[in-house]
Amino acid sequence: MPVRDASSRPRAESPPPLVEAAGVSRSYALGAATVRAVRDVSLAIRPGEFVALQGPSGSGKTTLLNLLGLLDRPDTGEVRVEGRDGEALSENERSDLRRDRFGFVFQTFNLVPVLTAEENVAYPLVLSGMDAGVRRQRAGELLASVGLDGKAGVRPDLLSGGERQRVAIARALANRPAVVFADEPTANLDSRTAEEILDLMRGFNETHSVAFLFATHDPRVVTRARRIVTLHDGAIEKDELR
Amino acid sequence: MSAFALAWRSLFRQKRRSLLMIAVVAFGFASFALAGGFIAQSFEALREGTIRSVGQLQIADRRAVGRAEEATLEFGIPDAKRARAIAAAQPEVAAVLPRIDFVGLGTVGARSVPFLGVGVDPGPEAAATLASGLVVSGRYLSRDGGEDIVLGTGLANALEVKVGERVTLLATTPDGSLNAVDGVVAGLVDVKIKELNDRYLAAGQELVERLLQSEGKISKLVLFLKPDADEAKTAASLEKAMNAAGFSVVVLRWEDLAVFYGQVKLLYIGIFGFVGAVLVTIVILSAAIVMTMAVTERTREIGTLRALGTRPAGILRMFLAEGILIALAGCLAGTVMALVIRAALNASGIMLPPPPGASSGTVLHVNFYVLAYVAGLGAMVATMAIAAFFPARRASRIAIVDALTHV
Repeated sequence: MPVRDASSRPRAESPPPLVEAAGVSRSYALGAATVRAVRDVSLAIRPGEFVALQGPSGSGKTTLLNLLGLLDRPDTGEVRVEGRDGEALSENERSDLRRDRFGFVFQTFNLVPVLTAEENVAYPLVLSGMDAGVRRQRAGELLASVGLDGKAGVRPDLLSGGERQRVAIARALANRPAVVFADEPTANLDSRTAEEILDLMRGFNETHSVAFLFATHDPRVVTRARRIVTLHDGAIEKDELR
Repeated sequence: MSAFALAWRSLFRQKRRSLLMIAVVAFGFASFALAGGFIAQSFEALREGTIRSVGQLQIADRRAVGRAEEATLEFGIPDAKRARAIAAAQPEVAAVLPRIDFVGLGTVGARSVPFLGVGVDPGPEAAATLASGLVVSGRYLSRDGGEDIVLGTGLANALEVKVGERVTLLATTPDGSLNAVDGVVAGLVDVKIKELNDRYLAAGQELVERLLQSEGKISKLVLFLKPDADEAKTAASLEKAMNAAGFSVVVLRWEDLAVFYGQVKLLYIGIFGFVGAVLVTIVILSAAIVMTMAVTERTREIGTLRALGTRPAGILRMFLAEGILIALAGCLAGTVMALVIRAALNASGIMLPPPPGASSGTVLHVNFYVLAYVAGLGAMVATMAIAAFFPARRASRIAIVDALTHV
């Protein structure tokens, strides 16, 4: 499959970024040592993209994903969401942005165990203040779209791993986000289920123009991605379009 | 899914732990409610006893306030009949009792014992006070008094007299001379305060006036009011009426006169406060441990909820709601527990030892005191909210990435 450098994309083709890192760095204390997880990285995610962040363990994929998703703050540099400086926002404004513009899919699904599948999907809608009837309908539609229309009242502990991840995807899409951040979403799934989950996300990407950004080791994700960003030692080594 | 709805579901994650915490709150609440009921009953009994003893209002010579008499009836109210009539004419007044306070010496043969005497109008006195109810041997003073005297059992023992025997009473008259009259022991009373029981003597007003040679003069008037009468208003209007009639008197309320009542009340409040503080501390510590465990166990979930857009205040609310729900469930269980224990205690007939200064005990009784239940509910909800607050605040401040990777 032919590839080209994403930075070579003509400016006229590029819509304004949804989320953008500009020279961000992030270090962690690990015992007495300091680990520089992300070093001076600049990266922009635009509407409708399907991007894989790949690289070896410790290369900074999850850290960069967390910074772009406003789950963490950079030591230096800037993260901008639709032109707004993330660092200038209050904690509540960052929470509201995550609720309204972002979706998250985690490796370990991270569903709320005391809520049913439908309630898990509806949770972001509750935060948005949507009426009970409307959010129930929306949650039902989303569950149906991920193939779980018969599982609305089931709690996560009675669902398989694949079903839980489908619920997590439905939850991520509940508030019609601009971008979904997925951290190793297939790592805890068997091969066939992983393929199904990826196809599902690719389908949403194509039909709803939702951007997806994956932090992944999984070659199946990489083969489906239209843009592959390779990280090494916290810095971008390659940024390729397909 | 409100904070309370999510908190309610969370209570069922660790059922045993939630039940244990609810039991702690229930125990604390029941203790509050029962102690409150017992103390309220004690206050009520003490108040009733005090009023029965000193009256609701007292009319006394203005000079007598805060001063001891150096001679018999040095102060006091002259023209007692007219004063009594003015007081009785007040619409809120139910009974007016004259009292003559005096000291003297009771003598039987070669044995002499000092006494604290009170001259009364026997009929109204027996009707309005506990005096006749304290009789343990013989009877109370006859309606016209006559030569009847009533002695505290302690005084009777000291004089070695029985009902029906004669006692010579010696006292100093207002002009300083000594006088004596004979009285016949009509009955013995058990005055609840031991020191008073060893010195108590009551006699009819006429006998005392003969002894003191003080016709028409009394120490004070003791008043009982009709139910629902306003003590303060009645005291003010009465004082005005008495002063207008030429009596230089003051009208005192029972709370001003019964220093003992205030002291005992303060003691009980102190005990109740201490027990309450211990209970609240136990509940706070237990709840703080439970809530800290809940926060630690759910750290990853907190990270997820924050990632999905829950504000820090939303996390705080969720854990506070959990604490408050435990408090409400505990208070509900505690109410049932308190009512069952109360019924069992009241049916048990347990005798309590005499309180300080009293010579006999009382049967244990715990009132259903609504205020104690309401205060218990308030205390438990506040306690749980305080106990939940600090773990909840910690939960709301956890860095999202740290929470998401918490193991």
